[in-house]
Amino acid sequence: MTEYKEWIGIVAIACALLAGVAFGGSYIGTLVVWIAIAAVMASSLRFVLLIGELNFASAAFFGIGAYCTGYIVNHADLPFVLTLALSGGLALVVSIVFGGITLKVKGPYFLLIGFAFTEALRIFYTRMEALGGNSGLVGIFPPAWLDAHYQYFTTVLCFLLILGLLGIERSHLGKIFIAIRDNENVVRSVGNRVFFTKVVCFAIASTVAGLAGSLHAFANNVISPLDFGFMLSIFALAYLKVGGEDSPLGPVMGAALLVCVASYAQSLGGNEHILYGLAIVLSVLFMPKGLAGLADLLRRKKESVA
Amino acid sequence: MTDGDILLSGRNLSKQFKGLRAVAGVDIDIRRGEIVGLIGPNGAGKSTMFNLLSGFLPPTTGQLFIAGANMTGATPERISQQGLVRTFQHGSYLPSMTVRDNVLIGSLGGMRNARVSRAEQNKGIDEAIALFGLSNHWNNVAKNLSHGLQRLLSMAIAFAARPSLICLDEPLTGLNQTEVTGTLQVYRRLKTDYGMSILLVEHNMRAVMNICDRIYVLHHGEIICTGTPDEVKNSDAVLKAYLGEAHGI
Repeated sequence: MTEYKEWIGIVAIACALLAGVAFGGSYIGTLVVWIAIAAVMASSLRFVLLIGELNFASAAFFGIGAYCTGYIVNHADLPFVLTLALSGGLALVVSIVFGGITLKVKGPYFLLIGFAFTEALRIFYTRMEALGGNSGLVGIFPPAWLDAHYQYFTTVLCFLLILGLLGIERSHLGKIFIAIRDNENVVRSVGNRVFFTKVVCFAIASTVAGLAGSLHAFANNVISPLDFGFMLSIFALAYLKVGGEDSPLGPVMGAALLVCVASYAQSLGGNEHILYGLAIVLSVLFMPKGLAGLADLLRRKKESVA
Repeated sequence: MTDGDILLSGRNLSKQFKGLRAVAGVDIDIRRGEIVGLIGPNGAGKSTMFNLLSGFLPPTTGQLFIAGANMTGATPERISQQGLVRTFQHGSYLPSMTVRDNVLIGSLGGMRNARVSRAEQNKGIDEAIALFGLSNHWNNVAKNLSHGLQRLLSMAIAFAARPSLICLDEPLTGLNQTEVTGTLQVYRRLKTDYGMSILLVEHNMRAVMNICDRIYVLHHGEIICTGTPDEVKNSDAVLKAYLGEAHGI
């Protein structure tokens, strides 16, 4: 799939989801917001995969954004846009410190540190009375002037964030990310600063996750520690694997499918986790390149038959 | 020859890995525009020496100067910015990226601190691709290239960073005779047209003797001989300790 088609694909999906918000009623509108936020989470996870690392701390940064928003709304009367920016900014600062320490290790070690950080933060939230303890924070509403249009706002902002990530991926900086994944010794040997570039990649992805967390808090109105455990990173990984990690369209398609599947499963009485697991197993077995790679796979099969 | 002509200078460089002394008190000088060979049997310490010079390993003792600056213990990125770029013995390219993007990464490293227009950058990339004969493959993904082309690509990446000194780790391995001849011609152009110095680790003795101005012979981590190809060929120490009859020199 060409780069041009990827841009068009993402914009087309965004337009379809906006049409869903406009004409689909409140249930569809809510579903669209979940899809958009889930797509940002999965895109953030994919972004760090460009440097070859699986970032299980993405749920932690999503939580940092959400809790920062919840705290500001409950304790300080700051403008909405500033709240959003501070939430992303806090995720940025924490991610620079976290990445600056942990990106010296790679692969399963980095993954485990991310997992531990996510769980440590979740437990921290439960112990902090100022953050609502086990009950979390409530009453996180968008401002009155935005309330009627919040679903449009969130959907558009989420897709702008995804397009921003795609723009960076296609830039020279993005090519250095991919080069680091391929062979970081080569990148280092010609004078590119590998560790610094890794931290930049991680910080960008984490800031985006923090902004998604802030949008989630405003969309859900209530947040609790359980929302930000490691399962959130697992879900994002599921969106990515089902949608396909090779293409920026993958996380969007995976999020759209699995959020709809989860919503349907909940309407049947829950157990959406079984459907998530089933979707991952089926996609790995029959669609190794995910939904986004399905068209290529079918075309190649057709050509080999011909 | 003055001190100003010295581009790289290693003094008493040593590397100890627990019980193993891989490099022991090596002095090495490379002048501007000079092609220098570093030869020795497997296990002689050539790769360790390369890692010491390029910053991928810190020396246990000794000092390293590049273009007059003390680079002892500096990172590979810092050393590269000082003008030394190296290739690796295996897989010195970016497999999932196209030839052009591979060379782009080299050029981005070389131009990190320079203000270069996009047009100039593209011109430099095209020049590197053409110099190493990769023009017909510019849009091919590196992992799909033949072994010989991948070797040429690794050198093109290093060249694109526009270093003063390119350190090439067995760059001719796996190349056919035509490719070897073409590559040696490129080395001469790097020296004459671009003023670059080359440090060459290579097992192809015919090529080393053909292209190098000077040769260091490493054995058990120590320099046992240094001189012109003729001097090395006629060195009793080299013939006795290392080259022997098996190499036919």
